[in-house]
Amino acid sequence: MRRGRTRASFRQAMVVTVAHALTGGAASPLDAQQGDQVEVHIPYTQHTLPNGLTVLVHRDPSIPVVSVNLWYHVGSKNEVPGRTGFAHLFEHLMFEGSAHVPEGEFDTRLEAVGGVNNGSTTNDRTNYWETVPSNALELAIWLEADRMGYLLETMTQEKLDIQRDVVKNERRQGVDNQPYGRAFETVYAHLYPDGHPYQWPVIGSMDDLSTATLDDVKEFFRTYYAPNNASIAVAGDVRERTVIRLVEKYFGDIPAGPPVPEVVAPDVSLATDDVVVLEDAVPLPRLYAAWHSAPEFSEDDAVMEVLGAILTDGKASRLHRRLVFDDQIAQDVGSFQNSQQLAGSFWLVATARPDVALGQIEGVVREEIGRVAREGVEPREVERAVNGIQADFVRSLQRVGGFGGKADRLNEYQMMTGDPGFVRRDLARYRRVTPAAVQDAARRFLDGRPAVWLSVVPEGRPELATGTPPIGEGDTP
Amino acid sequence: MSVDRSRAPKPGRIRPFDFPDVDRRRLDNGADLHIARMGRLPVVSVNLFMRAGEAALDAEHAGLAVLTGDTLEGGTRRRSGTELADALERIGARLNVSTGWEGTSVSLSCLAERLDEGLALLAEAVVEPAFPEAEVERARAQQVADIRQRSMDPASIASDEAARRYFAEGVPYARPQVGMSDVVESFNRNHLVGYADATWRPETGGVVVVGDVDEDEIESTVAGHFGGWTGRPALSQDFDVTPRAVERRIWIVDRPGAVQSEIRVGHVGTSRTDPRVPALTVLNTLFGGAFTSRLNLNLREEHGFTYGVRSRFGLRGKPGPFQVGTSVGTDVTAPALEQIVIELEKLVEAGVREDEVAAARDYIAGVFPLRMETVGQVAGRLTESVIYGLPDDYHATYRERIRAVTVADAEDVAAVHIRPSEAQIVIVGDATAIRAPVEALGIADVHRVAPVGSEA
Repeated sequence: MRRGRTRASFRQAMVVTVAHALTGGAASPLDAQQGDQVEVHIPYTQHTLPNGLTVLVHRDPSIPVVSVNLWYHVGSKNEVPGRTGFAHLFEHLMFEGSAHVPEGEFDTRLEAVGGVNNGSTTNDRTNYWETVPSNALELAIWLEADRMGYLLETMTQEKLDIQRDVVKNERRQGVDNQPYGRAFETVYAHLYPDGHPYQWPVIGSMDDLSTATLDDVKEFFRTYYAPNNASIAVAGDVRERTVIRLVEKYFGDIPAGPPVPEVVAPDVSLATDDVVVLEDAVPLPRLYAAWHSAPEFSEDDAVMEVLGAILTDGKASRLHRRLVFDDQIAQDVGSFQNSQQLAGSFWLVATARPDVALGQIEGVVREEIGRVAREGVEPREVERAVNGIQADFVRSLQRVGGFGGKADRLNEYQMMTGDPGFVRRDLARYRRVTPAAVQDAARRFLDGRPAVWLSVVPEGRPELATGTPPIGEGDTP
Repeated sequence: MSVDRSRAPKPGRIRPFDFPDVDRRRLDNGADLHIARMGRLPVVSVNLFMRAGEAALDAEHAGLAVLTGDTLEGGTRRRSGTELADALERIGARLNVSTGWEGTSVSLSCLAERLDEGLALLAEAVVEPAFPEAEVERARAQQVADIRQRSMDPASIASDEAARRYFAEGVPYARPQVGMSDVVESFNRNHLVGYADATWRPETGGVVVVGDVDEDEIESTVAGHFGGWTGRPALSQDFDVTPRAVERRIWIVDRPGAVQSEIRVGHVGTSRTDPRVPALTVLNTLFGGAFTSRLNLNLREEHGFTYGVRSRFGLRGKPGPFQVGTSVGTDVTAPALEQIVIELEKLVEAGVREDEVAAARDYIAGVFPLRMETVGQVAGRLTESVIYGLPDDYHATYRERIRAVTVADAEDVAAVHIRPSEAQIVIVGDATAIRAPVEALGIADVHRVAPVGSEA
């Protein structure tokens, strides 16, 4: 779905597992070294316009396609309580026309040249992209510049009202009318304290969406949608100097905005286990567990992803074997390291077999985590996980555009690490992971550490929820 | 210096894009081998297709093709399921099985240097499956649970009910592809062994290999790994597609308290091998297949009724459904349905405009190269060729056929394949809230029905 990968926490995390990756230059995108030690990189050039806009260019002439990708450093973390969901609602308004692009033409013009486009909002950032035949590069840059520079001229109450309704339907479709749909926001609300920028969902609450005003739109635009709070990456069948010329032409005279207010996130920890139960119109009980872990692109972030793969990825993984194969108490089990800028979390999700109490699953999860913490993991388990991550990395080099394509990754690295060329260091993080590091991370982040344990159970079946008494601080080893 | 922003920049000259050359060979065991070389990155995508599909099964065996496919990774005569998974993961390969109406596809994705090992494991899984008892039980429980999950997911409830309303009883497409729980629960290991033995056969199927490969080398590698595998699938599709009703009706499945209504409006459409698929594709794109199509502009951008609405021709071996699908707020269910019906009637009665047809043509032809970036995408296209027996130059000439579609072509196919007066309308939502306003539209009789699977 376009315009609104909200709940990006989950999807983004899934994407991170599948494609933590990037890159590939055009001419010789990766150099095979001995064995599986493929080297990956995305050759790029970097410029900064006087108004602060960062420009990244990557040439890949494999097919006559180019992707124009913009990241704005604003997400739901920048919202204030009472206006939750606003960053994402605003993203919708970015497609409704600007001073020189009449309403509706943003899409019709791109479709007419055979282009596709989309945008998404997460807790941390908002991105927009157009992937077009390379002869339509200038059109895509013109469109993006117009909405960065001249959005408010044609903004109306009616546009806001219609997109507000669209977003409310997006929320109903993805959350309120969806089995297990409220699980993620419930876990977030318990994982982070009131006032923490990750405490509320990207999609926001119905009440807050209802109260957003046109003045909010204007203020938000002036605060966050300025060239100094954005970066543009162009990847594909283009020449660097053409890109620079066009970006300077269309973005050059957009004035810089004031410095963007910094988001301060207090250190967070859970004092005790937080046990939560939701009764919902679902057929099977499902257990969600979430622990605080490490932020995006840190060393521990990579270690936790490898640990997650060892626990739940594939039939040979530890929890899959125990829960699904041996004990046969779960239908499925998955996990992900939820990599986010200010703070990360590690999630585990398991769906029970019919009528199985979630406490049984919780018990096995604790046991297997304890086993990793006590006895460690085998080198071959780490190797298997890293090989999978590496192959996914290489596969993801194939696309220049879209979510997770090369242009998107250059911007992500630029915005989150300050180094657009981070891709090499990114993969290196995984290659450095050792069995000892995995064991150590299991001890520090998971084993005996307080977590949010959410049970989603069929209506009228609260007895299927986890009932383990919470561990207090004093019980933590 | 200020820039003239008042006019949209015109596209310049485009570098041509050619669909990768396809080398097509016939293996000794009767399988087709399609090889496309894409050497940009050392990755390979392989699809093995066998004509073991749900549409060739009778009602007593519905769901067996899916279950057998899902148990493929359960192990071989040489290694357990865990050992097989371990062997694949160690080389960074991904194996995926998907079973549909036409057949079972087993796909392998790996680095080029691991292709030989990957193919060996793929062949072992398909040619020497063991179907261990415990794996069969587990997969069966999983499938029954999936069916149960569907029964509580409003979008699935709507799609399943709609299929049952479009197709006459006995047409396989009338039932959910995963089957019904009572039937699936009756399957045991013998059913799976017998089914795989009868249908997992190379003739009439094919192998597609796309990536950084050498054609001759691939042929000998594939022939080597699949050498002893022979035979022809024993089951074939034996049915005619007929509609269940030709009078417009509304079917409401009650979900008390639902905040949204899932809406499906449709009827029997056409098959994948219909020569007029290009015209249908253009027609559907302008009507409901793209963001700026009529339906989405009306229901989403003008009215804010929905997050999105789409129409679609489900193109299968035999005529599948034509269907409009969306989910809308409970309070706007009736006006949203009214707009869908108005748009359908307008499409047939007032026809289409030249500019819309041109825009749809340009869009479809223009995005084609964008969707041929990865080896997996190209392999997917070639697998379609295998399944539906498309001509060798089908993909290479696809854009030409799209560009040739005229207003008259689009209107001709609309006259035949869009039939608003025969539409079956399914709404899954809060009946108490929506029934009266929907009845007040006066477009069709309204019936309350129990969802698929609940009668058992």
